[in-house]
This record gives sequence, C-alpha cells and structure tokens, in this order.
Amino acid sequence: MSAQELDLRDYFRIVRKRMWMIISIVIVACVIAGVYSLYIKNPVYEASTKIIVNQTPTQSTVGQLDLNQINTNIQLINTYKEIIKTPAILDAVTQDYPQFNITTEELLKKVNVSSVNNTQVMTLVVRDNSYPKAAEIVNAISQVFKERIPSLFNVQNVSILNEAKVDPPIQPGPVEPNVIMNLAIAFIVSLMIGLGIAFLLEYLDDTLKTEADIERYLGLPTIAMITRLGQDEGKTSPADSHVQQARKAGELDHVTAAK
Amino acid sequence: MSQQPNKQRHLITVTNPRSPVSEAFRALRTNIDFSSIDERIQVIMVTSSGPEEGKSTVSANLAAAYAQADKKVLLIDGDLRKPTAHKTFTLSNRYGLSSLLSQQADQTDVIQDSGVPNLSIMTSGPIPPNPAEMMASNRMSMVLQELRQRFDMILIDTPPLLAVTDAQIVASKSDGVIMVVSYGKVKRDIAVKAKANLDRVGAKMLGVVLNNVKRKASEGYYYYYYGN
Repeated sequence: MSAQELDLRDYFRIVRKRMWMIISIVIVACVIAGVYSLYIKNPVYEASTKIIVNQTPTQSTVGQLDLNQINTNIQLINTYKEIIKTPAILDAVTQDYPQFNITTEELLKKVNVSSVNNTQVMTLVVRDNSYPKAAEIVNAISQVFKERIPSLFNVQNVSILNEAKVDPPIQPGPVEPNVIMNLAIAFIVSLMIGLGIAFLLEYLDDTLKTEADIERYLGLPTIAMITRLGQDEGKTSPADSHVQQARKAGELDHVTAAK
Repeated sequence: MSQQPNKQRHLITVTNPRSPVSEAFRALRTNIDFSSIDERIQVIMVTSSGPEEGKSTVSANLAAAYAQADKKVLLIDGDLRKPTAHKTFTLSNRYGLSSLLSQQADQTDVIQDSGVPNLSIMTSGPIPPNPAEMMASNRMSMVLQELRQRFDMILIDTPPLLAVTDAQIVASKSDGVIMVVSYGKVKRDIAVKAKANLDRVGAKMLGVVLNNVKRKASEGYYYYYYGN
C-alpha cells in the first residue's frame, strides 16, 4: 500500500474519509448557484416572430411552384439574416421606436436570427428582461425589415407569418437563468472540486499512518497497534461499569490464575 | 481498583482485560519479550516525538499487562516536567523519583503499591528545576542498577523526545526504547528526527507503537472479541 500504487479501495477510503467535506462543498455550491439563479440574476424572456420569404409571383407562372424559385428564396434567407443584423435595419428600428430607449449596439446583442435548413421561414428571436418589451422589439424589427426590404432588394417577397404576442394569455417563463441547468453544473463542478481537494489533502498529508509508513521512514517494526480508547470501552455508564467491575474482578483472577 | 479516575487515561488492561485494546497491549508485551534473544530486556523506556501521543497510557497499560503475566513490575514516571502517573493510579506524588535522586527519600518511600497485583509505581516526585541533570546523574544509573535487582521489569515513562533532552539521557540507560507514534498526527520528518535523536545516544529501539489507530484502519486485526 505505498503512495505510488493507490488501488481502488484506497480511493474509496480517501473519499469516505472526507465525505463530509465533499458533501458540504457540493451543498454550498448548489445553494449559491440556486440563490444566484433564482434571486440575483435578472430573468431573461424570449419573444420570436416568423418571417416567410417568398418571391411575389410576378416573374414566375401563377399557381405553379418553381423549384428554382424556392431555392433562390432559401439562398436569399441567408442574405436576409445578415441584413437584419446590419445598421440599415436596426438603426431604423431605434429611430422609429424611440420608446424602446435602446442603442443599435444593444439591439444587436438582443437579436438572433435563425432559419431551419431548406425552408423559406426564418425566425427572429429577441431576448430581454421583460417579456412584453421583447415582444414589442421583435415585432418592431420584423415590421421595419418588411418595410425596408423592398427598397434594398426591389422585391416584395417578405411577409410576417406570426407576430409575437405582446400580452399573451399565459405569461411565458424566462428562458434564462435555467435553474436546473445551473444547479446541475454547480453540482458536477463542485463535486469535482471537492474530490480534487480530498485527494490533494490526502497527498499532502505526510503523517505516519500505517505499519508500512513506519517501516519505510523509520526503519522500525511496528510492535503494536493500539486502537483509540473509549469508543465502547470508555463509554460505559457508571451503573453499568459497577456491574462490569464485579464481573471483571472475577475474570481477572481467573485469567491470571490460568497463566 | 474501586477508585477509577474519570480521566481518559485509564487502565484498560485492568478494567476491561478482554477488550481488543487490552489484547493489543498483551501482543505488545509478547512482541517485546521476543524482540531480543540474547540480551535480556529489563528496563524499557517509553517515549514519543511530541506531547500527548499516549506515552503515559501506553506505559501504564503495558506495565499492567506485564504485571498480569506474574512479573514484578515497576513503573517509573520519568517525566519530571509534566508527571501523570500519580493521577492515573491516584497516588500521592509527595515523594518520587526526584526525591530519590536528590536523596531526600529512600527507595521504600518512593515505591508505592498501585492496587494492581505485582505492579509498583514510582511517581515523579516534586518537579525539580533541573530534570535533565538529574536524569544524567550517576545516582540515576545507580538507582536503576539497584532496581534491576528488585524487579523483573522496569518501565520508564519519559517526556517527549523533541521537546527536551531527558528522554535521550534515559534511553542511554535503558535496555530498550519504545516509540509511541500517534496515528495520523506525527509528520514523517518529525518522527525521523526523533528517531535520529535516539540513535545518536545508541538506544536500542524495540519498535514503534502506533497509538490512537482508528478502528476502521485496524480492521486487519480480526481478533475483535474473538472467542467471547
């Protein structure tokens, strides 16, 4: 059982020895993470609109879906995704809606545009500390985008599929902070840290503990191992020890006589 | 043994001879008896590197274990700085080793009956100003020589090795030295230094007693209440 070759049982022993330290580190970390997520961190709400990109059927035959046309639209979505995030659109939003009291840079951080692969639909997502404001902003951006795109592209091919509801019947929950996720992360990270500290302490502990230690460092044999007194022996109650005393006296004589 | 002091330092070998701890002390006795073949080990010193490692408990219990083996045993409290034997055995410390060495009392005054059959105690006596000089004196050697005639086994409890020099001096006058090491309390280099101190005076090291071992750590000792 030398220090170099710790076997699995030693690992268990080390963990079991400092179990309470590890558990308390984990509990403290989880409590901090929980309090932070629930009470300190401002919740973030998310509101989204969907925009469909569809060429107005001026160039193409009416009533017939052209595959090339659809592909072009899909390609266009990538362009639009970038356009939304340019000052061309966002500056217009900040100017047209002064009630948001927001700069273009702040707006840029809140906006996220995505599209599902090979569809003509793109999703505009805005995050904010208040849900109604997020919904208003996302609607405003969609509206401005729809109004501005013909001037940029000369085509009327954008329509808003659904607007974000500013006042939905059921208040949506915050998307951030994700309490369960934060707790899980705190749990795992603190568990790792706790185990790390436990093993580090064990490694740094250079006190003599085993016969092997004594043999190795002192070159002396261990001629006795005396366990800690008073676990059961010392804890006899006074009344109990009287009974034992009487019995013990007889036994002691018996033992010495037998020798 | 009716007056058991409510101290943690109690004589487990007397109060509970069947406990595994008492068994460990008997094993210690056996190991010492067999550790030397040619030389007779009669004067054993018990010491440790630092304080509170259990020197007095080990020496008192080992003395009792020897007494139970029908040997005439004398336990000397050689710790003239922080004596404890008189507390363990609830004896008077008015006369003791220091009074014997300073010739204020003679042997019959300072050797007291412990209450355990075959076991006699010499307490420390009043704390002198110069314990190390007393221990180093020729008188100490003479006293030990005389006591060798009267007792089968003499155990000397001493102060910690690294604190004062007393233990080194006594080691040079004894046949064997037992070093008590408290489990998980003594750092390697401290223990090595203590052992080097003993080696320097040519002490015969009998071995180490690992004290205060947690019961779980000693699970290998499966005689726990064997045959009870």
